[in-house]
Amino acid sequence: MTPDELREIDQDIAVHGARAGDFVRLGDTDLVVRVESDDRQIGNELQIGFGKNARDGIGMRSVRSDESCDVVITNVLVIDALQGIRVTSIGIRNGRISAIGRSGNPDTMDNIDVIVGSGTVIIPGEGLIATAGGIDSHVHAMSPRVCDAALSSGVTTLIAQEFGPFWGVGVGSSWALQHGHNSFASWPLNVGILGRAAGSTTAPLFEALEGGVCGFKIHEDTGAHPRTLDTALTFADEHDIAIALHTDGLNEMMNVDDTINVIAGRAVHAYHVEGCGGGHAPDVLRMAGHDNILASSTNPTLAYGVNAADEHIAMIISAHGMNPELPSDVEIARRRVRNATMAAENRLHDMGVIPVTSSDALGMGRADDTWRKTFAMASMFADRAILDGTVEADKVVTSNERVLRHVAKITINPALVHGLSHEVGAIKEGLLADIVLWPYKSFASKPNMVIKGGIPSWGVVGDPGATVANAQPLVIGPQFGAFGVAPADLGVHFTNSASTVTVAGRRSVPVKNTRTVRGHQMLHHGVLGEVNVDPTGHTVTFNGEIVTSDPISTSSLTRTYLL
Amino acid sequence: MELTPSEQDRLLIFTAAQLAQSRRDRGLKLNHPEAVALICHAVIEAARDGASHSQALAIGQSVVRSDELLPGVASMLFGVAVEAVFDDGRRLVVVDFPGSDTDVPGQVTRLSSSPTVTPSDVVTLDVHNDSSVQISVTTHMHFFEVNPRLRFDREKAYGRHLNIPAGEHVDFPAGSTVSVKLLPITGERVMIGFAGLVDGSLDAPGAKAQAMEKAKKLGYLDGGAS
Repeated sequence: MTPDELREIDQDIAVHGARAGDFVRLGDTDLVVRVESDDRQIGNELQIGFGKNARDGIGMRSVRSDESCDVVITNVLVIDALQGIRVTSIGIRNGRISAIGRSGNPDTMDNIDVIVGSGTVIIPGEGLIATAGGIDSHVHAMSPRVCDAALSSGVTTLIAQEFGPFWGVGVGSSWALQHGHNSFASWPLNVGILGRAAGSTTAPLFEALEGGVCGFKIHEDTGAHPRTLDTALTFADEHDIAIALHTDGLNEMMNVDDTINVIAGRAVHAYHVEGCGGGHAPDVLRMAGHDNILASSTNPTLAYGVNAADEHIAMIISAHGMNPELPSDVEIARRRVRNATMAAENRLHDMGVIPVTSSDALGMGRADDTWRKTFAMASMFADRAILDGTVEADKVVTSNERVLRHVAKITINPALVHGLSHEVGAIKEGLLADIVLWPYKSFASKPNMVIKGGIPSWGVVGDPGATVANAQPLVIGPQFGAFGVAPADLGVHFTNSASTVTVAGRRSVPVKNTRTVRGHQMLHHGVLGEVNVDPTGHTVTFNGEIVTSDPISTSSLTRTYLL
Repeated sequence: MELTPSEQDRLLIFTAAQLAQSRRDRGLKLNHPEAVALICHAVIEAARDGASHSQALAIGQSVVRSDELLPGVASMLFGVAVEAVFDDGRRLVVVDFPGSDTDVPGQVTRLSSSPTVTPSDVVTLDVHNDSSVQISVTTHMHFFEVNPRLRFDREKAYGRHLNIPAGEHVDFPAGSTVSVKLLPITGERVMIGFAGLVDGSLDAPGAKAQAMEKAKKLGYLDGGAS
């Protein structure tokens, strides 16, 4: 192409962002996606601003928002497990996604899907990527600031296990639960709390159920015995709630096969299935690949790195109330740390066997690192496309399917596992407008704006006394949706249908379909098979083939962006 | 000190810049937040030293060099905005780092030229600006209803807009004549509002004649045959 043509392309991309057929590199990763489609009509692109066409009678129709929409995100690159990778516009009405497609005024533009009213709030999406808000299905809310960290990383839904600073791994007291729900209503987040399923009878489970939990946690630190496990799963089947499981890492009462037998085909969310976070040593990873066992990873072992093993011994001792002076504590901590299973875990993610990533925030994981680590892991396996303008379009290897698979791990799949998908997990008509906008250059590392229930609630803010909104020092912090009574209204309390709890100003929504969810339904995943772990050398196989990966010495999405 | 929130924010820049400087002193390549902090700090201190706006901008552009940056960072240093206290008051300075990099986070690659459409129904008109000021018309404005002081064949412009890329405009300098190309308005072709000359469907029976009548009555200049 001539210099003039190249200049014209640069200018078009600067104004309109990527178009159909364009290749977009995600942050500083090796992931390059190709834009599948663009809903805009060439020449009729809706644009807001001085001298632009989003004006009354042109791009905006003079109607009320019930005939248009409250908010529209225009011309944004959507990366979503259901939508694929496409440029489109997202209309929002009453906090929910009302329409997806071409935006504008049907009076003057063809085939408009999202009618923009003269009063509609317009968020220009050119140059930005929109994803559904992240769902972190494994959070120890040991500090209220974990909510700030989560929001600052593009997470809008938390499945919390306590509200600290105490070690909870599930909350049993309905009195305490009420206060937890009240407190979480201060953040523009959807929050569900897991009850503690450490009951050999159902009495404590009933109390937590009435106290408005959205599921239960079984943890070896409070008892992952055959009886507690079976009691919880039987109870879950009766009440349609999810069970999150941290298995018996000591093999004190059972081996991993016994745990799988007690589960007996019932749906369960297997937390940190690699085992560093806890669970049957050394072979808890064998729980992955079963249809009824929905496995997840926690983020410190993702993008398996050269220092991963070294950081974990101290982390385990610190997180689990152990003492480094006590040799027996150090010994059982050591047994949880295995390079070979970490190396295999990352590969199993890429293969589509493990469908969910999460943080384990403040309990052996980082609340604000799940997007970053999930995509740094995806980048490990990417073919770096060489896009110097000489590659023929049909020869470029793109990462579209890999990227959609990894988006699914932090959005739709945890929503399905925890019974939230009737409210959140995707960019889909009818769901809550929980949407994260990311610059192309910092995708998955630093979001630009976190839209919660249709309202910008967190994101980049600058010098408050400046003439413009983007003056340094730019920090990621609360937006208007995070103040006053707005947060309670914008977030939901995920609960169960037998709950007797109400939370002032906040909608309570029972989870559902938690008992019928299966591994084969996991989007962009669903690969089932037999995982085996050699008990001595820890070599991992999947259907008989060795699975492993090499540790990385440099992680993407990290050094370029973090102070 | 009675520091305002904005003043407290400057301390955040100062702290980040000190950290970045200490890392640079150890010979480390700078990442994005480190480079931004050094640029902002340099601009703020230049202003404090009595520099002019253009001098402070030049200092901000040169305080870090491309070879001091990690790969990809140079391409991210675009539009670094910071407010500094100059002797004549607080001023906004926007620094675009002049260096470049072949490693570009978020790079968009287009292998063929940008998509265009070849319109089939184009009308070309000469438009004369009778007023004493420049008039600019944007892409999708109903050209029939633009400023009454533009003299052109209004009938031919009925139901049409400029054939230029969305978001751009055509300037009509005072007293000059400019040739424009017009395309049919798409969609349901309903013109609500504007100057109120149509205020309904463009293609309704009699709508055009009525609009022409109204324009004439209101003194819209018309260079058309009738």
